[in-house]
Amino acid sequence: MKMSTKKRFKKVTYQILALFLIAFLFLPIYQMLITALRPADLPWPSPAPLLPEKVTLSNFLLAFRLVPRLPRYLLNSFIYGIGVSLLSLLIAIPAGYSLARFRYILRKPLMIFVIYANMFAPIMLLVPIYVIMKSLGLIDTYISVILAGSIFTIPLSTWLMVSYMQTIPKDIEEAALIDGCSNYSVLTKIVMPLISPAIVAVFIYAFITGWSQQFILALVLIKTDQLMPITQGLYQFFSRSSVRWNELMAAILISTLIPVFLFLAVQRYIIKGLTSGSLKE
Amino acid sequence: MIYPLYKIVETSFYKASFLNPTARVFVGFDNYRWLLNFKVFNPKYSYFVTALGKSLIWVAGSVLLKVIIGMAGALLLNSRFLVGRKVYRALVIVPWAIPWAMSSMMWAWTLNSQFGVVNSIMMKLNLIEKPITFLSDPTMAFVTTMVVDAWVGLPFMIIMFLSGLQSIPDTLYEAAIIDGANEVTSFFKITLPLMKPVILTVSLLSLVWTFNSFDIIWILTRGGPLRATETLPIAIYNTSFRLIRFGGIGKASAMTVVQVLVVTLISVFYIRTLEKGEIR
Repeated sequence: MKMSTKKRFKKVTYQILALFLIAFLFLPIYQMLITALRPADLPWPSPAPLLPEKVTLSNFLLAFRLVPRLPRYLLNSFIYGIGVSLLSLLIAIPAGYSLARFRYILRKPLMIFVIYANMFAPIMLLVPIYVIMKSLGLIDTYISVILAGSIFTIPLSTWLMVSYMQTIPKDIEEAALIDGCSNYSVLTKIVMPLISPAIVAVFIYAFITGWSQQFILALVLIKTDQLMPITQGLYQFFSRSSVRWNELMAAILISTLIPVFLFLAVQRYIIKGLTSGSLKE
Repeated sequence: MIYPLYKIVETSFYKASFLNPTARVFVGFDNYRWLLNFKVFNPKYSYFVTALGKSLIWVAGSVLLKVIIGMAGALLLNSRFLVGRKVYRALVIVPWAIPWAMSSMMWAWTLNSQFGVVNSIMMKLNLIEKPITFLSDPTMAFVTTMVVDAWVGLPFMIIMFLSGLQSIPDTLYEAAIIDGANEVTSFFKITLPLMKPVILTVSLLSLVWTFNSFDIIWILTRGGPLRATETLPIAIYNTSFRLIRFGGIGKASAMTVVQVLVVTLISVFYIRTLEKGEIR
């Protein structure tokens, strides 16, 4: 009897603690939702209500009316995302193949370098990136952000490729090589179809990063309004005197839906890639 | 990547500005001397030392929060006493997926002193009488940005720790119970030693990410109020891009060299632990 009350007590406490954790993690999301759904013309009392008095979808419309370039910003983010992910794949697939399948002296140092490179954030290379882009005349172009962004997605992309390729058996490739296939056609005809899950994972990881995680790169490299990604575009809701919070939250909701769903779809691969340290020979 | 890195080291020995990056003068270690001697907002320590110090405290606080709450959260979500573990596990990942810039904007509004729900909830529970100004009081802003950064990194921590916990076989705990160990002892004698490699790798990774964190502070406070949240990344940005006349890229590069050195140091430890884990 004593045991079961103790167990029940434990169950209830754990449940409460878990709810607290979720509440903390969802606090800003909750605030975003109630703000996005609350009519924008309703004045905010202080302290703020915990539930909207009235629910409306008009903020989504208003957001587009207030910042007519919103679709353009979303399109820009999309272009950055696609650009970064294609470039990352273009480099990560052959690099990963080489690191996973061939044995050469520089292999291990290169693997370590890939891990090391993954530690770099845009802030650390900001100055040279700016100087290089300026000397190439690429400031204010899509290419500058895509090139600079890829620097930071390629390491993890390569890493994901290597760790995935190491899990597939070599036999088929070896058979193909004996049959007279070149290394290149082995890669394109045999390896690439086999590693398609990793390709999808890398594509989405790099897409999300290019879409919205590289705030600082666009901040520095893009000056024209027309080329700004959504993260910078959202600043249009901030004016000198006030912030249009209702519309801003509605816009954030729209612009995070895509990355959130994509991320949730591939988080398994990313977690696996980050946890598997496959430095082994 | 190597080339920009080389550029940083090279530029740190020159006097140069963004207005005209090609016109530059070799100044030797002047920029590094500047790092140590330039005092402007703080009479005791130089601008750079202040920023570095702030960065270190900020990072230590944030990573500590992440590791402690992350561990507690992972233990909680791994416990068989928790009903609906799967649902919780799925929910925990969601904040991770939101781009940092967006979540920072959401937090800015959530913490708003007049209209944010944080103040609203606390006032309704009679915990506070007046709203707290989370982002306009220097000390408060420092702590707040730290907590928001911990929030951003928490899902990753929980998931990593959770996968570590799941790899510990149940039989160990069962044996411990037979031997008469209570939960606290089995946590310190079984869980912690077995989790040590995971905790180490994840903490080192998180140290680097947190040390490089820019977006969150930039959106929440821009390094303010009164430069209270001006960590090294923010200082680098300010020196190179905002205070062009005052700074110049040579000085910012010298700062970046220090940043790179810190990250490299942590990376060395990180790669070492990875290698150790493989040999085992």
